[in-house]
Amino acid sequence: MLIKKTTLTALLSSVMFTAGMSSVVAEQETVGDFTRGAKAWSQNCIRCHNVRDPKELRDDQWITTTFHMRIRAGLTGQEVRDIIAFLQQSN
Amino acid sequence: MNTQYFRFSVLACALGLASISSTYAATDIEKLQAEVDELKQKVEQAAEWKKPKTLIHLAGFADVGYTDADNSPSTFNLGTFAPIFHYQFSDLVMLEGELEFEINATGATSVSIDYLTVDIFVNDYMAFVGGKFLSPLGQFRQNLHPSWINKVASAPAGFGHDQAAPNAEVGIMLRGGFPLGGNSANYAIYVGNGPFLEWDAADGEVHAIETPGIGTDVDGKKVVGGRFGYYIPDTTFEFGLSYASGKASLKDGSTYEEGRDYDVTGVDFTYRPGNFDIRGEFIKQEYGTLATSTYDTAGGIWEAWYVQAAYKFLPSKWEAVVRYGEYDTPHASQDVEQWVAGVNYLFASNVIGKVNYEFNDNPNAGQTANDRVLLQLAYGF
Repeated sequence: MLIKKTTLTALLSSVMFTAGMSSVVAEQETVGDFTRGAKAWSQNCIRCHNVRDPKELRDDQWITTTFHMRIRAGLTGQEVRDIIAFLQQSN
Repeated sequence: MNTQYFRFSVLACALGLASISSTYAATDIEKLQAEVDELKQKVEQAAEWKKPKTLIHLAGFADVGYTDADNSPSTFNLGTFAPIFHYQFSDLVMLEGELEFEINATGATSVSIDYLTVDIFVNDYMAFVGGKFLSPLGQFRQNLHPSWINKVASAPAGFGHDQAAPNAEVGIMLRGGFPLGGNSANYAIYVGNGPFLEWDAADGEVHAIETPGIGTDVDGKKVVGGRFGYYIPDTTFEFGLSYASGKASLKDGSTYEEGRDYDVTGVDFTYRPGNFDIRGEFIKQEYGTLATSTYDTAGGIWEAWYVQAAYKFLPSKWEAVVRYGEYDTPHASQDVEQWVAGVNYLFASNVIGKVNYEFNDNPNAGQTANDRVLLQLAYGF
């Protein structure tokens, strides 16, 4: 019973958190910025691994790779769009 | 007469040439047009690769190696082949799956699912993750274990499979990042099936806290946990705090006992000044007592920590690394105090050759030398 309550509380908190976050992003940008992307790329990749050359992958492969890293590294959606813009334009 | 014949001949030739020239020009233009059309089609097809709604990508890593240990014969080994499949629909959903292929001592190949999740990008600051995922507690298991990332050929003591650091979970998770105080925060919160306690009947003890990411929660006891990280980009410093709590049941064959308290606490950091890469982590798993247990009424603690420093000798491709760690369990025979020193050569940012010397001591069990030489070639693709 205690576990059920704990699980329910966690899920409820998550939903409330989601709702709260949704209101924050009402006016989010939808395009990436090359300059911000270059900075985010150089500052975030090194948290875990060596920096990868933009020419290592095709443009479309950078999209999936960067979304994968959004999950792994806790990047924001805007950081992802910026990094993709940087990688594709440098490719 | 001759003059007339000559004029007629010239006129006939001129008309003939004009006709041939006209025919040739028309054919040439048609051919050119066909080539342009073909090129246009190719360009359009090429553009389709850049932004289709569905993307498929195969990534992953692999490594091969050689081990020469004090107490066992030297051996070449095929470490890991771990392809990662990415299927993405627009910026809404991604399916991620990592398989792990390994060859055992008899030459047989084993395959396991390291993780398999469906991720829904809820908004810019949150993603919903469902399935089997690498434990978000700490850093090593979820982000540093791939051999092309790990700067040492082995995992830190206590951070291998089913040791002190939780390996994987089956459940649901919310994770993401957001700006905080001019820097970046990241988080992961999950509910999962949790671990079980593996009973070793021969030794009459709980052998390990097993955290492979169990697909069926036989005891119905869930674990809730997560990690909060705070990253200061200008100083390249990040620290993280991890915590999880729930119930875990002792498993003896197919028999499960009543659940007992289970908790995980952890702290980790990363710091990247200049050519240095410095990181460290502490993790502790513990389970509580159970007075009614017919196996073992006592609780147990598995804990481990390490610190690691690496330095790149730029602009060369050489890198030096040193790591120290300790692993402490309820069983003296499992405990380790470990030093590793190594030299790496970066063939590319994702291709790394490693030469390590690992010092393993276990003063708790009276062992002072179980050292190993490790060679490894790792490729992240």
